[in-house]
Amino acid sequence: MPTTSATQDLELIIEKKPSNGGGGDLPPVDRDGGGDDGKRPSPSKPSPKRYYTGMALGIVSILMFFMALASAFLVRRGSGDWVPIHIPALIWINTAVLLISSATLEMARQRLAKGELEAYKNLWLTTTVLGVFFLAGQVGAWRLLVAQGIYLASNPASSFFYIFTGAHALHLVGGVAALLYVAKRNFEKAQITRTVAAEVTSHYWHFMDALWLFLLALLYLGK
Amino acid sequence: MVTYDDGSPRTAPASFLGRCVFSTHHKTIGLQYLWLALASVLVGMILSALLRMQTSWPDTAIPFLSGLQHTPERYAAIRLLHGSLMVFFVLTAAPQLGFGNFLLPLQIGAPEMAFPKLNLVSFWMTVGSLGGMTVSFFYPAETGVNVWLGSAALFSLSALLSALNFTATTIDLRAEGMTLPRLPVTVWAWFLNAILSMLIFSVLLAGCASLLCDRMLGSQIFSFSSFLATQPLNLVRQGSLPILWQRLFWYFAQAEVYVAMLPCFGMVTHLVATFSRKPVWKERLVVLALCGVGLVGFCVWGYHMFATGMNPYAPLVFSVLASSLGVPAAFLLASWLGTLWDARLQLTCAMLFSIGFISLFIAGGLSGIFLARHDLRSAAVSEDFVTGHFHLVMGVAATFAILAALFFWFPKMFGARLNEALGKVHFWATFAGVYFIFMPMHWLGLLTQSHLLPDASRANLASAGASIRTLVTVATICTVAAQLLFIVNFARALLRRRGTEENNPWRATTLEWSVPSPAPLVNFAGVSPVIYRGAYEFRSGETSDFAPQHLAPELLSQHSS
Repeated sequence: MPTTSATQDLELIIEKKPSNGGGGDLPPVDRDGGGDDGKRPSPSKPSPKRYYTGMALGIVSILMFFMALASAFLVRRGSGDWVPIHIPALIWINTAVLLISSATLEMARQRLAKGELEAYKNLWLTTTVLGVFFLAGQVGAWRLLVAQGIYLASNPASSFFYIFTGAHALHLVGGVAALLYVAKRNFEKAQITRTVAAEVTSHYWHFMDALWLFLLALLYLGK
Repeated sequence: MVTYDDGSPRTAPASFLGRCVFSTHHKTIGLQYLWLALASVLVGMILSALLRMQTSWPDTAIPFLSGLQHTPERYAAIRLLHGSLMVFFVLTAAPQLGFGNFLLPLQIGAPEMAFPKLNLVSFWMTVGSLGGMTVSFFYPAETGVNVWLGSAALFSLSALLSALNFTATTIDLRAEGMTLPRLPVTVWAWFLNAILSMLIFSVLLAGCASLLCDRMLGSQIFSFSSFLATQPLNLVRQGSLPILWQRLFWYFAQAEVYVAMLPCFGMVTHLVATFSRKPVWKERLVVLALCGVGLVGFCVWGYHMFATGMNPYAPLVFSVLASSLGVPAAFLLASWLGTLWDARLQLTCAMLFSIGFISLFIAGGLSGIFLARHDLRSAAVSEDFVTGHFHLVMGVAATFAILAALFFWFPKMFGARLNEALGKVHFWATFAGVYFIFMPMHWLGLLTQSHLLPDASRANLASAGASIRTLVTVATICTVAAQLLFIVNFARALLRRRGTEENNPWRATTLEWSVPSPAPLVNFAGVSPVIYRGAYEFRSGETSDFAPQHLAPELLSQHSS
């Protein structure tokens, strides 16, 4: 199966644009000879492109969501009562774990593309376990803060720390669920193929990874 | 013949649950949204009549209102309920989610929405949020605000999912030959609106979630103390904050204006072209103007949200709405008038309501010019002026577009036609009624200037103000009562339908008119249609004055209506 990247996706969309002005009785561009009644049966399965589009759009929405929070963070930081908090060192280890999970996921995807199912499955499960480790690590970081007496309601900075990490963790739980779903799903009966499901999930996972780096930079630089 | 194998059943499931509650069919879900909107608009209208009565005759015992203590806070809560029902479940739900769900796949020749199950989920989230908002009204203010915020978050999430579905469907599921320039303007409007909704509702969702977090968990995302500092002291001491309710409403309504108006622009353009029997004048420009409405609207609103850190306590400058919509709105207006110019108009009810929309849009837009001037706004006009302006331009205009669309697509939805004569009486009653309500409201807004006048004139003005207020209230009650005509028409058409409606009663060009009325469960009998031309090919031929999008060129010569 060929891998479809986001750019190819985009090209496919653009390809649909016609050269003529939309009027006139020109037949559709890629009509093959014309059926007997002027209609052609559609392929039995709708194009899997919609999954890639759906994920890309989902990523845009989630990005907007976090951008709104980030703007609140930057504006709030300027108002008088800001008390900086210390980010626990555990966060850096968590970040490393998440980065490694993205790498293993990419390796899994390459194995799947080569048809090495066994290796793919192992790497895929490794990614899932690393994802769970990251989540556990985030909870650990919260406990470290709580031990210092820093709660959600303590001050604006702590509120934002918990909200950013919490909202990201919530989205990552969805990612872990998707990883498990792809691992367990029987794709013979499904509309979606394993390759498509794996790719769409990996797009989400890598996005979560990048988003975390952004949030961390924001929290670290803006504390 | 190969049929779709995308999981949608080819026969209707027998059970009630499968047919009505867990149906993933876009047409069923679209109709469900419309029923939801109908219920909301009826309740919302009655609430508006109650609010008017309370303003005009504060001492009269009104059954529903008297039970709830007469405090400014209760009054504000009723206003919020009226506003949220109308804005979320009528103006947002009906044009985009109702008509959009029903028609978008049909108009682009798709078998279903891209993600039918997601569609089902977002519909029931909308129902949940309607329930939540209604319930929030009956709680005391503190809990009520929380419930309302939770419901608004739920609505934002459901709108996000719908928007994702609409966008993916339009991008990936268009039938063969349905190129972008051949898309009907309605589809463009739904598509652009979905993109806009994705951007807007994710910000609203973040705002709701943060505000809820502030209120329930004590986090400090927004600086509530700085908001309290600007409020009147006696209100803060009592703990009742009607202003907060009001702020919340504007916080949402500002964004919702664009989301509600875009699909209405699309539908009105479509109807005006169909009943003028002419192509849309400067169709490309109309699509660009629609993009402009979305882009400018989002930029202005988005700038505000991001500049204040999406702070719902920050004062919203409602006037920017008018100025930002101005340029693209002028293009749209020019196109409508250009299409109407020198056309053989068919004044059906759908067309009347479309023209009514244009009229209201012009009237409301003109008063918007005053609001866009900050100096004028603060000096000359009061809240009544703003209320009058935005009800004309958004509330009532959008309702006219919804009614126009309902008259137009009713045959495709239910396999019957609404009565034209009764519809025309209803149109004229409503049209006159809304002008009687909202034009005097503008005058009321201008009366605040009276403090600049000598004493004698001021007394005259005060009494004039009182009688204008009564006029508005009486007009409101009459207009609400006139809606009975519509309900009778609607119920009568539903009860008398025989299922013998022709496929294309309006001689329209788009794809949905190629399938039987009412539209069967499986789109296009499971065969993907092929599209040969643009959406507005009205021209005089030997046998017919229009060319449907799906008709092959070789068949077109034999085609007759």
